[in-house]
Amino acid sequence: MKKTKTIIELKNVTKKFGTFTAIEDVSFSVEKGEIIGFVGVNGAGKTTTINAMLGFSVPTRGTISLFGERVVPSNAHLSHRHIGYAAGDMELPLHLTGQQYIDFVMSQFKGDHTDRLEALLKQFSPQLEKKIKTLSRGNKQKIALVAAFMTSPAIVVLDEPTSGLDPIMQDAFLELIRSEQKNGVTIFMSSHYLQEVAEVCTRVLLMKNGRIVEDLSAERLQRASGKLVRVVSKKAVIPPPHAKQATTTDNEHGVTTEFSYDGPIPQLQVWLAGLKSVTDLSVGDRTLEAEFRSLYDEGVEVK
Amino acid sequence: MIIRNVFMKTLYDKRWFVFGWTLGLMALTALMVTFYPAMHQDGSLEQLTKSMPPAFQGLVGNLDNLSRFSTYLASQLFDIRMQIIAGVMAIILALSISISEEENGQLRSLTALPISRTAIVVQKWLAMVVILSVTVLGTMVGILLFQTMINESIDLGELARLIFMTWILLIALGSLTFAAAMASGIRSVALSVGILVLAVSFIVTTFSVGVDWLKDFESFSIFYFFPAVDIVKEGIQLRDVSVLIGISVVSLVVTLIFFRRRDIR
Ligand SMILES: Nc1ncnc2c1ncn2[C@@H]1O[C@H](COP(=O)(O)OP(=O)(O)OP(=O)(O)O)[C@@H](O)[C@H]1O
Ligand SMILES: [Mg+2]
Repeated sequence: MKKTKTIIELKNVTKKFGTFTAIEDVSFSVEKGEIIGFVGVNGAGKTTTINAMLGFSVPTRGTISLFGERVVPSNAHLSHRHIGYAAGDMELPLHLTGQQYIDFVMSQFKGDHTDRLEALLKQFSPQLEKKIKTLSRGNKQKIALVAAFMTSPAIVVLDEPTSGLDPIMQDAFLELIRSEQKNGVTIFMSSHYLQEVAEVCTRVLLMKNGRIVEDLSAERLQRASGKLVRVVSKKAVIPPPHAKQATTTDNEHGVTTEFSYDGPIPQLQVWLAGLKSVTDLSVGDRTLEAEFRSLYDEGVEVK
Repeated sequence: MIIRNVFMKTLYDKRWFVFGWTLGLMALTALMVTFYPAMHQDGSLEQLTKSMPPAFQGLVGNLDNLSRFSTYLASQLFDIRMQIIAGVMAIILALSISISEEENGQLRSLTALPISRTAIVVQKWLAMVVILSVTVLGTMVGILLFQTMINESIDLGELARLIFMTWILLIALGSLTFAAAMASGIRSVALSVGILVLAVSFIVTTFSVGVDWLKDFESFSIFYFFPAVDIVKEGIQLRDVSVLIGISVVSLVVTLIFFRRRDIR
């Protein structure tokens, strides 16, 4: 394992299935300690990217490096010594109990990780005595998560890790990610829960039609917040300067105008004061979630 | 018990399979052994066989063989019945430890761990060999056990030869199917290789006695390399052993070459 800051690197990775191109020319690199949120609509190519990254599949073109070493399927197991992986739709060995599976995974790694395991078991309290095939989806997922984190890997790759978890477990999961970040662990997670991505990730990669179309850094994520303004009035209003993504809808209560605003606040105040026959008004914080949602919608064109 | 590796895990997953099939094969031997007294002939039917058309002779087998317990077992149990039934078992086993695990996503979970693809192939294959050994030994124990009920005793050397050849035949069939499954990752490919080998072999072997032109293709049947009666009478031929072991070795090498560089679902 070479000592490098760049710990994951994809260069011009393309994966075709027959004539269908699932991902095309995907390039990015991840530094040690980053928490990457990997988002995009169904079929965008997230799982395909992750599968190539971990050596489950062979890219049609391009190269992948983990810890500074080129990865191909026949040597991927070497980097897996320092990687934890869990997917929401992962099938664990059906005939084993949770405990047997944990023991099996543990046997594949060097070192003593019992303390770490204990802590995770306390956090997630998975059902270990039952056969895995009899467990509910969420309970299987808890075991997969515990197994992914229990060997204190340097990188944890997660493909929709929380899709089957209840809200309490989702919180436990986010808590875990935050504490892992403090330990300098690199996390690469795909998710459809923009809220959770906004909460824990330091950088977000947005994938669309098999390409990375946005790479939002930590600073950009900080700045992404603004105001979300909603006005209901008798007549249509013209949004102020700096208003973005304005929409108007008509119904029997009047005209509803909505927009996001990231200009100077006094200017917004002046605009609000000038409004006539307003029946309802709300000004709230624009969440990161809303920001992502607009990116999904915008139909960001490939440059 | 802690399951430490893919080899142990495969054996553990298949424990009921081993139990069921061993009992099943023992039941088959029990049946065939207890039929012996009724089938036993001391040459009086030889005339009858000779008068049959050759095609029928092929289906019934040489009635001469019924005069001794060991040749009876060779011709009635090991020739074709055991080969087909245990062959089906070997194919089911090979499919269940390969393509079935890939289709339900378990293989991907294994690949995500620090286990090399070579290790996955070799350990699964070794587990398959062990499982086939247990079931074949079960058959042997069955014969030794049930022969006492009819006061017969087979020569241990002759029995060992039959068992050894059954063992390497099953490993060859299992390895072929395993190779098709692990190299391609496609169930229909694996299934057709297994079934085709078994079906073609069955047809070629049973009909080549009567159908003259099929004789030229006798060696297309995997059973051609396991002539049970000759094995009892004349011993094991090096050629047969080499072919069967050769099939297994080549299959394993092909599996490794392709499985190490392909996509896993
Ligand atoms: N083995 C395969 N053969 C053919 N097409 C495939 C294969 N795997 C994926 N695809 C296609 O590649 C595209 C990307 O799929 P992928 O699973 O990477 O999407 P995703 O972003 O993970 O979606 P989701 O959010 O639904 O999980 C899809 O159009 C999918 O149908
Ligand atoms: Mg996916």
